[in-house]
Amino acid sequence: MSRFSTIFEYATCSALGLSLIGLFYTPYNPMEQDFRNLAFSSASFSHWFGIDGLGRDFGSRLWRGAGNTVAMALIALSLNFTIASVLLFIEQSGPRLLRRIIPLGIGIWVAVPVILIGLVIMVFLKPSVGTLIIAVSLGNVPLAFRQLRILWIEQRNALYVLATEILGGGRRHLLAYTLWPNLRPDLLGLAKLILAICVLELSGLAFLGLIGDPDFPELGAILKQNQAYLFRNPMLVAWPGLILSTLLLLVHLSKSRSY
Amino acid sequence: MIAAKQEHKLKAFLIELLHKGWVLLLVFFIASAVIFTAVNLVPGDPVSLRLKNPDPERVAAIRAELGLDEPLINQYLHYITSFVRGNWGDSLITGQTVREEISEYFPATLELAFVALFLGVILGLGAAFSAQWFKSGLWRNIALGLGALGLTVPIFWLGFLFIVVGSLWLGWFPSGGRFDFTLPIPQGSGFLIFDSLAAGRLDMLGATFQYLALPVCCLSLYPAALVCGVLQARFADPRLHTLVRALRAKGLSEWRIWLIHVLRLLSAAVITVVGTNFGALLGGAVLTESVFSWPGMGRYLVEAVLNRDLFVVENSLLLIILLAYLIISTADLLAFFSNPTVRRHSDSTS
Repeated sequence: MSRFSTIFEYATCSALGLSLIGLFYTPYNPMEQDFRNLAFSSASFSHWFGIDGLGRDFGSRLWRGAGNTVAMALIALSLNFTIASVLLFIEQSGPRLLRRIIPLGIGIWVAVPVILIGLVIMVFLKPSVGTLIIAVSLGNVPLAFRQLRILWIEQRNALYVLATEILGGGRRHLLAYTLWPNLRPDLLGLAKLILAICVLELSGLAFLGLIGDPDFPELGAILKQNQAYLFRNPMLVAWPGLILSTLLLLVHLSKSRSY
Repeated sequence: MIAAKQEHKLKAFLIELLHKGWVLLLVFFIASAVIFTAVNLVPGDPVSLRLKNPDPERVAAIRAELGLDEPLINQYLHYITSFVRGNWGDSLITGQTVREEISEYFPATLELAFVALFLGVILGLGAAFSAQWFKSGLWRNIALGLGALGLTVPIFWLGFLFIVVGSLWLGWFPSGGRFDFTLPIPQGSGFLIFDSLAAGRLDMLGATFQYLALPVCCLSLYPAALVCGVLQARFADPRLHTLVRALRAKGLSEWRIWLIHVLRLLSAAVITVVGTNFGALLGGAVLTESVFSWPGMGRYLVEAVLNRDLFVVENSLLLIILLAYLIISTADLLAFFSNPTVRRHSDSTS
């Protein structure tokens, strides 16, 4: 790993951590219209990002929005890894028929755009934060499954794994001292990639208005809400996108392995 | 010997074609079953929701007319046979036939996606080859920047930036819409570029490109980044450098080496990456349409889902899924043709 990726790794962790703080603390209430008389005012000492069209501190909305986006993406990532791992386990240890059906199904699944998966799910679940998380985690299952499968096959055939087994290493020893140290960098790289995709897709679906509550502070939804003010106050559209892009760029630059 | 080789290649291609056809059939049945189940899982009746005063007798009559009172298996069979015949029913919102509406919106999305794909491939090839050819830091940085920009900047935000710069500041391009309504709209296939050319009207063609410019530039960055990334990875392969040295030793010009031999060798990788990401491009097109008020399938579909327009959702979702799979399969077959080492069931990639 290069020195730069280590630096970007720290920067990414700091940015994600800082975003998550927004879930618990913001300087002003991001939902209350406390500054209606100051609507559309630009940045000032007390309101660093100005006030939005509905009289709310825009910095607080952005901070909470970044927190919500990152938290939703992390939940989607966990769900995605869980589903992909379960499928991989079934494919590797299940009956022969399943071994053939699962890769075929994944091959078909990969052809369906995530936005369409989101729309199919939206047909029978109400547009909401939970629905978006489910849609994004399901949409990226083929990517996670394929990469996890490659990693598993690589590790299963590795000589050092065989050597540990011959030397009498138990399952727990094999997992903790042989497999995990070798898998960790690759799994971390894959997790970062899927996290970046989840952030991008969640904000995209929220931008389309599929998050349900249009006032929910999420970066894509904030962008959508301020779309009408593009010509009046472009900064209301510029800031959410800039924060999203910075988060995504940091995650991409800190990847230890290219997928 | 050559004839036998050709025959073997053709046989392998036909097997691959049959395999793709079989999987397409599977995609059709699985996707239609999932969509049908999803639509029928929704609590409530879409017909009652559409009527202002849902009188039970009238609802029952409309349900009987639409075939919604039959057993689910009959409804499913009716759905797939009607889809194949092109009889896609009427929209519950507008009352127009779904086929008519789709034939109005689908060409708009396809035109946007294909022009963006074309521009993206050209941009990606140009950036990657320039970086490799000129060996200068500037071109390398441009290629790296394009890769980062295409993969990390959200397409919907980029669209707003383009509107602010191209429409608000420069005033060169319209901020939304598909065509200048002060001009007569070219009639025909629905693909305005072809229709303008067929009508021989350069003013219409100019207007079409003027409206296409911003959304296409916005959408093309993603395929450009993908193509640039995959080519840069291939350029790092030492075997390619050996090949280039051998071709130089043979006395071929640099143009011939890079644009004929190397490009031909790398075409399979480019086709594969473009084909497999066509679905993502369609997803991007949905977002781009929302930013630029582009009258395409994306907006139509989102509205249909939110309004629970039964027949529109069932048929247009299935159509897009089949199209995405068809494009991926075509790309696979093209890659197979351009590079016979590409074989199906390659375990390392699936």
